[in-house]
Amino acid sequence: MPSKPLTLRILDIVSVIVLGISAYIALFVAPTELVMGDVQRVFYFHIGTAWTALLGFILAAGFSVIYLITKNLLWDRLQVAAIEVSLVFFLITIVLGSIWARPAWNTWWTWDPRLTTAAVTELIYIAYFMLRQGIDDPDRRARFGAVYALIGGLSAPITFFAIRLFRTIHPVVISGSNPEAEGAFSMTPDMRTAFFFALFAFTVVFIDLFWNRIRLGELQDKVEQLKLKVTM
Amino acid sequence: MIDKVTDVKPVSNSRTRPSGNFIKAVAAVLWKDLTAEFRSRELFSAMLVFSLLIILIFNFALELDIKTRQSVNAGVLWATFAFAGTLGLNRSMAIEKDRGCLDGLLLAPVDRSAIYFGKVLSNLAFMLIVEIIVLPIYSVLYNVNLFLPGLLLVILLGSIGYVGVGTLLAAMSVQTRTRDILLPILLFPVVIPVLLAAVKASSGILAGAELADILLPINLLIAYDVIFIAVAFMVFDSVVEE
Amino acid sequence: MFFQETTPDTSGYMIAGYTIAFVVMGLYVLSIYLRNRNLSQDMTILEEMDKSNAESEAGSANQRRKSPQSQGTK
Repeated sequence: MPSKPLTLRILDIVSVIVLGISAYIALFVAPTELVMGDVQRVFYFHIGTAWTALLGFILAAGFSVIYLITKNLLWDRLQVAAIEVSLVFFLITIVLGSIWARPAWNTWWTWDPRLTTAAVTELIYIAYFMLRQGIDDPDRRARFGAVYALIGGLSAPITFFAIRLFRTIHPVVISGSNPEAEGAFSMTPDMRTAFFFALFAFTVVFIDLFWNRIRLGELQDKVEQLKLKVTM
Repeated sequence: MIDKVTDVKPVSNSRTRPSGNFIKAVAAVLWKDLTAEFRSRELFSAMLVFSLLIILIFNFALELDIKTRQSVNAGVLWATFAFAGTLGLNRSMAIEKDRGCLDGLLLAPVDRSAIYFGKVLSNLAFMLIVEIIVLPIYSVLYNVNLFLPGLLLVILLGSIGYVGVGTLLAAMSVQTRTRDILLPILLFPVVIPVLLAAVKASSGILAGAELADILLPINLLIAYDVIFIAVAFMVFDSVVEE
Repeated sequence: MFFQETTPDTSGYMIAGYTIAFVVMGLYVLSIYLRNRNLSQDMTILEEMDKSNAESEAGSANQRRKSPQSQGTK
């Protein structure tokens, strides 16, 4: 297995640095929010992971289509990497969302469209891996994975809009001030800096983890092939 | 018991009318499933009994006064349909695989998607029959009139979406090692828009809400049905090829 | 001004949040690293097995070349 390319080594280091800077800005440069206090700072990481996981999700659905057309297993490998990294990122999104909700709105969970869709998407990802686990043939595994990722990729946005449209019967979380209940608060320029830098940082981290995961997938495929050859 | 494709009426080999070929294939699959089920009734009785038991469980799980119960009727109904539906989907596909019918169908010179449509129609038929029986029983048990045309329409649209995606996913799950257990795990997250819209529309109809409120979720149901059946139609080939 | 609440101290939650974020990411990086290491080890073992297979096959091929000669001289 060829050793790590230099670009990737550099990217590893850059990711750590960029993430560190983002955390610093979020924790020390951005001002403390007036109503919620310090917990609001988790918002930057919450959105950072959410946005990149969403990107990964869309990518994965795209990879599905390409794989189903070309039947080239490379796209399957890309898809697995995208979904795995997105799964980890969405987990962080959900947990941070919950932690933010607790002191802000006195509840561990809100059934608002974003958080709920994140949870549903997470379940789709988990189901994706459970599906793949139950299949031994790599070709069939790739095909089924692609089909499910496509179906999931179409369904989750519809779920989001459905929840939004139907403004459900679930009790609306009411807190002291209404803007916070919708998750909106006005951002000062420093907050905006923290916000956009977090987006940038997590995109870099996502690409780094994604690339690393792809290489792992390559190694996995090579080992499987060699295993078959040797044990024949 | 029909367990060989040879028992089914042969598909016409008219190359001049490919669409007629397709429809005949769909009809053949549907006919096979319906007659097989008519003789054994194993799927149907299982789904029906399961539905009634679910309603029973909900009765004890949600000890409600009459007023509160009115707000959950729609939800309980759809939860029942969702759970009983997986039973039917699982068994329907498992029967195909176990008796080798699927292989037989695949050998026939028909478009693979004809098999998909045939299975969707037969699964839909089973689900609708079960629902039609559950409705009056629920009505009687809870003293609520469920035979409103709007509600029947919503049940139809919701079942179509559910079965459309469910048939595709069942075709996949039956080929994995985990089989039955996997279908609900795959299906439920993806079918949430159907449940959302169906419950919203159903409760609206039962509460006598305005047309505008009900039309929106119904439109969503229609959109979902169209999108997902189209997608399933396109990818079904990849799911059953050897 | 007298009715304005002071900003609540929710720094505990903030610390919990950031800790979890970093821990989860760290665990994932660790998972990739460990899987990589295990697979590399598998790879080395498999490559050795492959090599010894190839060698033994070459050996038996040599023997097969020799034996028809010995049979022919009988």
